[in-house]
Amino acid sequence: MTLQHVGKSVPRVDAVKKATGEACFVADITLPRMLRAKVVRAGIPHGKILSIDTSAAEAMPGVKKVVTGQGCSMLFGTCLWDQPPLAVDKVRHAGEAVAVVLAETENQAEAAAKAVKAEYEKLPFVLDPVEAAAPGAPLIHEKNGSYRRVEYSVHPVPGTNIFHHYKLRKGESEKGFADADVTVEGEFEFPISSQAPIEPHGAICRFSADGSMEIWASNQAPFVLRDVLADMFTIPASKVRVHIPYLGGGFGGKSDVSIEPLVAYAASFVPGYAVKLVLTRKEVFTSALVGRGMKGRMKIGAKKDGTFTALKAEMYFADGAYGDTGWPVDTVAGHNCTGPYEFPHVTVDVYGTYTNSPIVGAYRGYGHPEGQLMSSRLIDRLARKLGMTPGEIMRKNFLSEGRQNALGQVIKKSHGDLPGCLAAVEKALDETPLPKNDDRFLYGRGIASMMKSPKMAANAASTCTVQVNADGSAFVNLSGIEMGQGVQTVFAQMAAEALQIPMEKVKSYPDVDTQFSPWEWQTVASMQTYRGGRAIQDACGQIIDIARETAAKVWNCSPSLVAYRNGECVHPNTGETLSLGRLARGFMAPDGLTIGAPLGATGWYRVPGIVEPDPETGMGNAAGSWTFGSQGCTLRVDRQTGEVKILHFASAFDVGKAVNPATARGQVTGGVVQGMGAALMEKILFTDDGVAKNVNFPAYKIPRLKDAPEKQTVVLLETPNPEGPWSAKPMAEHPIVAVAPVILNALRDATGVEFTTLPVTPDTILEALGAKEAR
Amino acid sequence: MPVLNFTVNGVPRTVHLEEGRVMLSSVLRDSLGLTGTKVGCGTGQCGSCTVVLNGRAVTSCTTPAEKCEGADVLTIEALAEGGVLHPIQQAFVDAGAIQCGFCTPGLIMRLYALLTVNPDATDDILAEEINKHLCRCTGYEAILAAARLARERMKK
Repeated sequence: MTLQHVGKSVPRVDAVKKATGEACFVADITLPRMLRAKVVRAGIPHGKILSIDTSAAEAMPGVKKVVTGQGCSMLFGTCLWDQPPLAVDKVRHAGEAVAVVLAETENQAEAAAKAVKAEYEKLPFVLDPVEAAAPGAPLIHEKNGSYRRVEYSVHPVPGTNIFHHYKLRKGESEKGFADADVTVEGEFEFPISSQAPIEPHGAICRFSADGSMEIWASNQAPFVLRDVLADMFTIPASKVRVHIPYLGGGFGGKSDVSIEPLVAYAASFVPGYAVKLVLTRKEVFTSALVGRGMKGRMKIGAKKDGTFTALKAEMYFADGAYGDTGWPVDTVAGHNCTGPYEFPHVTVDVYGTYTNSPIVGAYRGYGHPEGQLMSSRLIDRLARKLGMTPGEIMRKNFLSEGRQNALGQVIKKSHGDLPGCLAAVEKALDETPLPKNDDRFLYGRGIASMMKSPKMAANAASTCTVQVNADGSAFVNLSGIEMGQGVQTVFAQMAAEALQIPMEKVKSYPDVDTQFSPWEWQTVASMQTYRGGRAIQDACGQIIDIARETAAKVWNCSPSLVAYRNGECVHPNTGETLSLGRLARGFMAPDGLTIGAPLGATGWYRVPGIVEPDPETGMGNAAGSWTFGSQGCTLRVDRQTGEVKILHFASAFDVGKAVNPATARGQVTGGVVQGMGAALMEKILFTDDGVAKNVNFPAYKIPRLKDAPEKQTVVLLETPNPEGPWSAKPMAEHPIVAVAPVILNALRDATGVEFTTLPVTPDTILEALGAKEAR
Repeated sequence: MPVLNFTVNGVPRTVHLEEGRVMLSSVLRDSLGLTGTKVGCGTGQCGSCTVVLNGRAVTSCTTPAEKCEGADVLTIEALAEGGVLHPIQQAFVDAGAIQCGFCTPGLIMRLYALLTVNPDATDDILAEEINKHLCRCTGYEAILAAARLARERMKK
């Protein structure tokens, strides 16, 4: 049957509400008896709390309560319980909360927050992850190693700042390097950056005298948040109700938990009141979650013909003051740092370190851009060393059917067509000849390929409920969070396809409420179309089965003989039909007698067979699906100003099936520009005193329209993938993964300079060009 | 308590202002419940809070409320009065220029201020205006396309 809805660029179902300002975000919500919260932040990166004087603040107009961490024994987490909701006896980063003022208005809370006086004994601090991991570094957590944790997955080194050491050992890399004719190696840095969704984080929490609590939050992980809060306050999860409205961008920075435990802790002191906190932009930088923060080195060995023999890498992550959201990033960086290539021998060590900086969490594609920056830059260097093109090296080593990745997983054809992606990018770039350098401009071209796995909890699943109404319309509910990526639209497309009814009859509500919405692990790892789509197929399949059973009873025949098409059951002989609407509440005869079950079903999907990586080898079936792609660009460097203009950026991903080609393109164009920001602009800087300093726009520069590439080409390949719903695969984070190495490879081509540290700003370029001329 | 008298979306309003620093964005959102205007940075850099003040696009998060005495303010809520989208709004929907939607109302209001006065604004002028806004989702390609589409439709 030809597809009616899947594969069509239908308009987004949420677009009208967002164009009119109707769409509701957490900051737009006002509850009865609502207090506003303002947070007092440490302001120093590391110190013992000597005293906190709240008396002046408490006496100020409108102030209801000032909450500190004094006496708080709670630690929250999902796999590593190392963080209190606000600082208790010491502060571990400058943005850490030390007190929360609750007042009637925001202005009153802000004024009172300034009146809170905290005294500290300053402690030596460390920001650099390599220094943090070294002996003698200031110890940030004395209890590292003894915190409650999931022991199979999180591997701390007690007595150090290393709270997680992930190691990957495939084959014997020493032997692999002995077999190599040539090696390349380098040191790289991917600095701490902000996901910078335009909507700042917010939460509203209310405790009731009956022992239950409710929270409204800008959060990608409502069920994780629910379980964390239930654990923290030792109340049943059934008494914690989480509501999620629209999210104004997430990019991972709103996944797991961030500010919610703080808001909930403060709200627990004023039961009956709702407590609302919306972060300032500055706090988004200093006190929510940030991303990346990697320093690493990598070495690749190859034969003369370009065949890889071995890879060795070390990565150190400045994961900030607490580690629960950082450790999976570290593990994934290790899994994926090889890029989409086969290496027979791999040795990788990743160290997640406590540092006196903001907490690192997920950021679009987490772990992948950090690790693959290194491999993709080194491949470019290796190509020149061997007198080959980077494309030739890539083609020689691409993961393809039957080859084995670093985790030991055997690649299937359905994982995707890397040569096809690379060819598409080369073709797009070759359409315009590379201009010749002139007095003003240098021109260059760069290329890289990528892979991305969805790192997930092994038990991660999506569930979907479908309810058919008497008019034949249907509710489709999942708990995939709509944060811009367009899940509501593809959910409706897929449900309409599965039920064979018009899209106008399907409604998928964006608001998630853990009391009523079906359970979902969380909206991360680009899994909603893929995993959610399979859950939709399951639920809709059940609906059709129930309808056919009821129709068979009406017609007194076997259900297997009843056909289903276009939203109707069809009689095997007469062609008579019974619509879904007619069967929605069972079939009712003229006298009212009703038979058959109502048309409601719950479907689910879990990527099968996922395990946590083996603690010794780091290998195993730890990633359920792969998406491959290639990207390349042509750029221009202004010799006078050092400014970079990207003339053309081309991307090709094997997405299995583009469920909505227009929104898929939007994911790519947006991801490329976000990645460009990382490559050329973005880095959180610290003062000599260890305090983040460029913590607002434009001091922290993210791309504007005029920074964006002049032209983008997006090619979506569709290799059949029997595991995906209508063949679809994850693809939303992927466009960011290879962008930085593509740009740095092109800068190498243009300038002859090997850049290895992000971001490559105009000043960096001018300095490098000057140094080159001086030689 | 200071009082502000001004006109919002054609309706005369009187609002009592809290002591201290009160911005237009907060009056619109907190006092008048017009939450279509978004606040993304509080420093006029992201453009999400853009409204039209006396015919000009301003960032309402940096516009002191007391400076709005007697002013005429238009917010995103004024554009689809009666449930029919303004051509700029419809262009954003049709061009696929909306992802998370947080920056959308501000962009639409800035283009409204521009295109109602200068329906022949060049591509360069459109780009200049969009460049005053931050969008983290789309990569801007579709936003520029929406602005061109809106310009074309508003001429008809």
